[in-house]
Amino acid sequence: MIISQTSGVPIYQQIADSFRSDILEGRMKAGEYLPSIRGLAKELRISVITTMKAYEQLESEGLVTPVQGKGYVINAQDTEMLKEQHMRKVEDALTEAIASAKIAGLSEKELMETLKILLRIREN
Amino acid sequence: MEFESVIHGESIIKKYKGFELNVPMLDVPKGFATALIGENGAGKTTLLDILAGIRLDYKGSLKFFGKYDDKDRENNPVVKNNIGYEGTGNYYLPSWTVKQAREVQTLLFENFDEAKYKDICSKLAVPDDDNKKVSDLSDGNNMKIKLAGVLSRETELLILDEPASPLDPLMRDKLNDMIRTYLNEKEGERSVLFSTHNIADMESVTDYAIIVENGTIVEEGFVEELKEKYICVKGEKQDEEAASKILYSMTSNNFGFEGICLSSKLDELAGLSVVKETPTLSQICIAVMKQNSKLYGIN
Repeated sequence: MIISQTSGVPIYQQIADSFRSDILEGRMKAGEYLPSIRGLAKELRISVITTMKAYEQLESEGLVTPVQGKGYVINAQDTEMLKEQHMRKVEDALTEAIASAKIAGLSEKELMETLKILLRIREN
Repeated sequence: MEFESVIHGESIIKKYKGFELNVPMLDVPKGFATALIGENGAGKTTLLDILAGIRLDYKGSLKFFGKYDDKDRENNPVVKNNIGYEGTGNYYLPSWTVKQAREVQTLLFENFDEAKYKDICSKLAVPDDDNKKVSDLSDGNNMKIKLAGVLSRETELLILDEPASPLDPLMRDKLNDMIRTYLNEKEGERSVLFSTHNIADMESVTDYAIIVENGTIVEEGFVEELKEKYICVKGEKQDEEAASKILYSMTSNNFGFEGICLSSKLDELAGLSVVKETPTLSQICIAVMKQNSKLYGIN
């Protein structure tokens, strides 16, 4: 996990973002626990309350549930939601690619060709 | 945010000639690091001394760990053993050697862990010289052996008076780590209350802030909540006058201005071209202190 002090994004937000992608992309599985609040604060060298706020945010998004005395457990994720999340990422990346293509003066056909070539490389 | 209190106090009053500490209500959250922030002479040490039982000539009621009062603190070893206190004064006799200071603590406290003490001393780079007199130690090393002393005991509450002041930047960083480690060793059961007038060095370890000014609490809250309550505003010169009526505290130069205001007052800044940023705890503290100094007519 990379925490930037100068990115302008609040630290609790950066922590929440990091765990969110870990959960939604399946690197952290349902039933696993998030690191303890004070343990994570110690490791990341930040305050306890910042970590707590990050976890509360994940809780409000329904990704984790607090368990008395045990910490925060990762909920089973809705596969539809997971797909939706990934779909949005694909759209974002493609939108960015289209913008770059425009600057480079690529035609629609050339752009499609590029995508096809990249897909083929990936498959091999 | 609601919390359990490790220390709860009501109507704490101590009068000196020309100064009065008057805290109607005090709550230190359990499981967190709380900073007592204030100018020199604001009453931080007086308050900590009262809480730690160094000073007993005060009025008011105190409750520790949710169930013990200040008489228990004096008479019940369970309470006494669970509180670690580090003060700014000398509490080893000047003629003692480093070795004697260590041995006294093994006698005084049942839960003193001598091996841990030695380990912390070496981590803090305290010169390994048992025969050196305590009075010959530098301020920094003196503080280090005091910190090693409180951290080597099995406690649930630490009360530290200006622990960072005599330490160099590297050691302050280590102090922050030690506080986090202390809190982490018993998730949610341990609390730390420390005073500081240099909040920037301790900001990364502070969960809850209590700002004292002129003997009383003028602002308090969890840092993340304070960062939402206040906002840092920067703007161009032409908007300075309009903004000055709204900002809590403001500094200006030839090119623009910068200040802190209550987030709830942001609407009133509509129409001015300003940049808004989340303030640091230091910025909030300074703004609150400036505001209150104004109220008391000090500045």
